[in-house]
Amino acid sequence: MRIKSLTMLLLVVVTIMSLVVACGPTAEPSVVKETVVVQVTTEPEPEEISLVYITAGDVNMLALGQNVLAPEFQEMYPNVTTAVVHTGPGDAGSRTIFEKLLADKQAGKARGDVDVAMVHQKFMAWAMEEDLLMPYAEELDTWQYMSAGDVNNALGTNIQGYGMPMFHSQTALAYNPDCVAEPPQSYEELVSWVEANPGKFGYNGIKGGMAGVSFVVGWVYWKTDQYEKLAVSGPVDEADVATWEQAYKDLAEFNKNVVITAGNVGTLDALNRGEICMGPVWVDMFYTFMAEGKLAPETRLTLPAPGMPGQPMYFVIPKNAPHPDMAKEWVEYVTSPEVQGPVIIDRYNWYPGIDGQYVKDVTPPEAFDRLYKDITPEIMNQYGRSFPIVEYFDAMLEAYEQWTSGE
Amino acid sequence: MSSVAVGEPAERAPGRKRRGGREVFLPFLLLLPAVGLMLALYAYPFISSIYRSFLVKGQGALTLSNYVKVSELYLRDIFFSLEIAFLSTAVAAVLSILMATYLRLGSGRVVRLIGSVYRLPIFIPFVVVAQMMTTFLAPHGLLNVSLAQIGLVNLDTPPDLLNWKGLTFAFVWKQWAFMTLIVLSGFEMIDNTYIEAARSFGAKLHQVILRILVPMSRASLSVALILAFTSTVGTFTLPYMLIGGKTPTTLTVDIAHRVTYFGDYGVANALGTIAYILVVFTAVYYLRYTVRREVYEQ
Repeated sequence: MRIKSLTMLLLVVVTIMSLVVACGPTAEPSVVKETVVVQVTTEPEPEEISLVYITAGDVNMLALGQNVLAPEFQEMYPNVTTAVVHTGPGDAGSRTIFEKLLADKQAGKARGDVDVAMVHQKFMAWAMEEDLLMPYAEELDTWQYMSAGDVNNALGTNIQGYGMPMFHSQTALAYNPDCVAEPPQSYEELVSWVEANPGKFGYNGIKGGMAGVSFVVGWVYWKTDQYEKLAVSGPVDEADVATWEQAYKDLAEFNKNVVITAGNVGTLDALNRGEICMGPVWVDMFYTFMAEGKLAPETRLTLPAPGMPGQPMYFVIPKNAPHPDMAKEWVEYVTSPEVQGPVIIDRYNWYPGIDGQYVKDVTPPEAFDRLYKDITPEIMNQYGRSFPIVEYFDAMLEAYEQWTSGE
Repeated sequence: MSSVAVGEPAERAPGRKRRGGREVFLPFLLLLPAVGLMLALYAYPFISSIYRSFLVKGQGALTLSNYVKVSELYLRDIFFSLEIAFLSTAVAAVLSILMATYLRLGSGRVVRLIGSVYRLPIFIPFVVVAQMMTTFLAPHGLLNVSLAQIGLVNLDTPPDLLNWKGLTFAFVWKQWAFMTLIVLSGFEMIDNTYIEAARSFGAKLHQVILRILVPMSRASLSVALILAFTSTVGTFTLPYMLIGGKTPTTLTVDIAHRVTYFGDYGVANALGTIAYILVVFTAVYYLRYTVRREVYEQ
């Protein structure tokens, strides 16, 4: 309790200080010069730094920052205190960060308040278009561990060097083996299973969270058989959208035998209460629920062909970050195998942001096995998809409103 | 409040004339902070959101295309929001009148106890109500499981309550206590002699309610109705958490969807403007019929 109120106090102080700094007379160039001179002439005394780390995502992102990363980082750099700011779940949380940085730019603030931010993929397209970010990633030691395609490409936007994934998150179908004897291996098999078992499959539509969105995107990949074009290569052709009509009308037909649940958590709750037998979930939420005893331990996962999307969350450093060097240290620290294994995999049940082969040795074996038990690395490579290119993504969501919920 | 504001200047006008000079501006100066704050924090965003509902990203000219999109995609949700707001306000109003009558006419320890306990929902935020209702109303939630215990519900085919029914139930649960508070304050102002006179002429309970209590506290009743209606139209968390992914859903969920997934403030503002219009109708009614009656006809 006391720690919490202390942290709150710290947060308030940092906010006020940053406001004072931000609103005060702006004489940035001279400040920067002074620092350089000091470093050249005298032995550098570690300057007190308060690093501002702002994160989108669920409340576990705040807990991770506040309770794990910030204290451990301070052990490495005693002169650095990290203030963790949380903006909220989903793209809406990233949107808030984007608007904050955009407002800085529009106000012409050369020195902002945010040192490092944790954002979703959509943010990258918005921020790259407005030129808000610093290219920093390729300088880091941990850049060599990056192997996934989404390190360079976020929903069709080239982001090479601007973002480093902290983790990858994947959606999959969770099922209760008591009522699903043979889990469907493809969307096709799922459709026939749902016909045979009406009311036993549930997902959360497209307005109730990303697990449902992901299921719908997977549906479109399956029906169009154009994953490469829609998510990787492009180019965007608006005429494609009209060809999806039947796919969405089929989905409307499918929805008649389906329960629409109350959100990402709603699907897991409905599974746990035995209301449904199967539904799309985020893998990390699935394992976290299980670890907390909120989900029956026999519940399993399957990733049907032709796959469902997942997404990373990226570290980015704003162009006007007040402490860019320390921000880079922060990112390098979190993307190191030592944090990726024990924290990202073991404690938070995410897939690592860096290549799995560098993490295996530093991760507790049972954690590694747990994460890859139902969905093996091979299945992940084959069926772990990306979300579509932004224009197609928007069109897919709107097409759902037009042809599926409009039916 | 309104009657005082209108009444006083009429009496003091001659005195002020004599003082004249600088002091004429004093009232305006004193009003400036409050009015300025209202203009900056309320009027400006309000007008700008209406203005922006006619703009499309990347185009300079004013256009109706946001409204066209609203009519293509969200018409059903607009009517749904309106239906939910009307239905839940009406049910909550009836319940609150009954409750207020009980508290007004009853006496004794039980009445006092209920009188202090019924206010509980007022202090529970919508987001908590939503969390509560999702587990209470779920197919295998507390309600259905309890009903199954006494054989009223078959858990293999439980009734689906996470739709307009559950949403209305949740809104009524939340708004009912608040409305009772306001309606009761109106009832308390009615002199006992009216009720006693009606009773001595043989009026039954429903006649006391419909002929004495309700007509004599029409002002507080309409305040309760309007406040409950407008907050129901504007609530996001409850419909989002209860029926966010379903069709139809409410206007507020659609507004959040446009902003979150598309960054599309144009259509979001158009939906918002429609919400204003829904609410303005009730506000106009309130101003024209209630305030006027209170101020001029007493």
